Amino acid sequence: MKPAILITITSTVVLGTMIVLFSSHWFMIWVGFEMNMLAIIPILMKKYNPRAMEASTKYFLTQATASMLLMLSIIINLLCSGHWTVSTIPNPVASTMITIALTMKLGLSPFHFWVPEVTQGISLSSGMILLTWQKIAPLSILYQISPSVNSNLLLMMAITSMLVGGWGGLNQTQLRKILAYSSITHMGWMAAIMVYNPTLAILNLTIYIMMTLGTFMLFMHSSSTTTLSLSYTWNKFPLMAPLILMLMLSLGGLPPLSGFIPKWMIIQELTKNDMIIMPTLMAITALLNLYFYTRLTYTTALTMFPATNNMKMKWQFETTKKTTLLAPLIVTSTMLLPLTPMLAALD
Amino acid sequence: MALVHRLLNGAYIFRHCPKPSASCPFLGTRFAYYCSSSLQKPEAAPGKTSCQRNSEGDLQGHHQREVALDITSPEEKPEVSFDKAIKDEIKDHFRRLKDDIVNHWIGPEGRPLHEVLLEQAKVVWQFRGKEDLDKWVVTSDKTIGGRSEVFLKMGKNNQSALLYGTLSSEAPKDGESGCSGYCAMISRIPRGPFERKRAYDWSQFNTLYLRVRGDGRPWMVNIREDTDIIQRKNQMYSYFMFTRGGPYWQEVKIPFSKFFFSNQGRIRDAQYQLLLDKISSIGFTLADKVDGPFFLEIDFIGVFTDPAHTEEFAYENSPELNPRLFK
Repeated sequence: MKPAILITITSTVVLGTMIVLFSSHWFMIWVGFEMNMLAIIPILMKKYNPRAMEASTKYFLTQATASMLLMLSIIINLLCSGHWTVSTIPNPVASTMITIALTMKLGLSPFHFWVPEVTQGISLSSGMILLTWQKIAPLSILYQISPSVNSNLLLMMAITSMLVGGWGGLNQTQLRKILAYSSITHMGWMAAIMVYNPTLAILNLTIYIMMTLGTFMLFMHSSSTTTLSLSYTWNKFPLMAPLILMLMLSLGGLPPLSGFIPKWMIIQELTKNDMIIMPTLMAITALLNLYFYTRLTYTTALTMFPATNNMKMKWQFETTKKTTLLAPLIVTSTMLLPLTPMLAALD
Repeated sequence: MALVHRLLNGAYIFRHCPKPSASCPFLGTRFAYYCSSSLQKPEAAPGKTSCQRNSEGDLQGHHQREVALDITSPEEKPEVSFDKAIKDEIKDHFRRLKDDIVNHWIGPEGRPLHEVLLEQAKVVWQFRGKEDLDKWVVTSDKTIGGRSEVFLKMGKNNQSALLYGTLSSEAPKDGESGCSGYCAMISRIPRGPFERKRAYDWSQFNTLYLRVRGDGRPWMVNIREDTDIIQRKNQMYSYFMFTRGGPYWQEVKIPFSKFFFSNQGRIRDAQYQLLLDKISSIGFTLADKVDGPFFLEIDFIGVFTDPAHTEEFAYENSPELNPRLFK
């Protein structure tokens, strides 16, 4: 893509999200969502092949449907409340429809079917943007309307997302699909705590974005899209193997890595709100995710799969790929747990 | 001879046996005696054919046991029960769903992950019985009014499949078709429980392996990807397969990097790599414009990893022909 076009499209994506974040007018929020969706389509189709076109079409159809639903709910809210301002939504129909529209954009169950298909059909860099940047706008709106959201609906969606994300990722060998199901599960965790402590959802989102960005960057560095290609890492880039190990376990929420912070805080917050069964279920379903993260770790870092050469390490040429942000992302994704007492200010 | 006599009189217990038909010319009057006597037994359950399983080594077996010979009584009409058929179909789907869930727990494709990752060769289709033929569909230009004929049957000793027929390039006289003459054999799309579409994941292999025996004609191997979008049903990736003819089997190895992209039967200027994670079906097409009979015998179709083959895609796109790809 020509640099001028790339800059225009990227800035439109960023601008769309910023408009959503900073607007208090429902119509402008909808405009921001539309700008963001239309601008991300060429980024998804960066690798111009039939699979990418199919993935972009599926993404467009689901997001357009969610936008239509959002617009309808905005109009219903306008009819009931008489204003366009983003505040508590008095009408339960409008708040339910807005919740459904936003969860459709996020890829929460039962509107999750597009996430693995779209992520699998696009390149790693496009998938990175899809699973990180594209989550910011819908979650920010959920954050703003969290007092008036139907809590039962959101909690049901959260728990089913965790189950679907854990179960669906179990026997995947394609890395992009694994990260897609990981995204569904993490969105479930965020949705679960949104009703009780929205700030924790934002914390979860921040840490999730850091971990996912780091993981995608590592995969892009080694051009790995399948578990098998990742299992040759010991032969190609030996340093990457422990980094993948730490990132995967952090995604799984194991202490003493950063991924444990949101899980710990969320379970603590839910138990403070007299919920026992829900956090127990959430902790158990997290084991499903941990299983396939650990399996990736096993094939990458803990075993040496037979490689195509007889050498200890492949001859390494100087890499031309930029790894500017990789080091700080890995540090923040794995070593932030000691800072957790500072987060007590969130209470 | 004595052994045959022993087998005929001792090993087979039967129930509803008609008069001996042309399918059992070796049986004598003794068989007929047993047949007629079994018809008189009141306990025989109606509606069951006489051909089915063999109860071994039981001379004095109960009259309700079934015969090994493939004979259907003409006096009994098979019961067609719509409700039973639906119930059986539903039970079958739920059983497949249960197997699906259990296999999902075990690993990809129902096998442990390390087994899938370490696999370097895999037979995807082989022809050892009639049920293997059910996974394939044969088609020819007869569907558009042409005169080609194609058939598929099991080969000798049930060790291969034989695709044979007659190719005719005579165009159908419908006023709009200018050319004709093709025959094809296409694999059915794999289906899961409740007819959910499935796809093959061949991403860890890089070469297609075919063991065939042809008649010297050039065939086209076509691979289709799984798609949910309607227009993509016309897209496929193809490569040539030249058969040698002659009595010896031929092992054809086609790297997946060699497959070129075509849409609606036309090779496109913009070429894309065949992505192997969602393969829907494979097919063989004959359209060499040579009228006459043809045959192709297929032993098995498999995929394997050739470590010496490192090419990712054999074709490159031209900026002059496709400037859109280089924007």
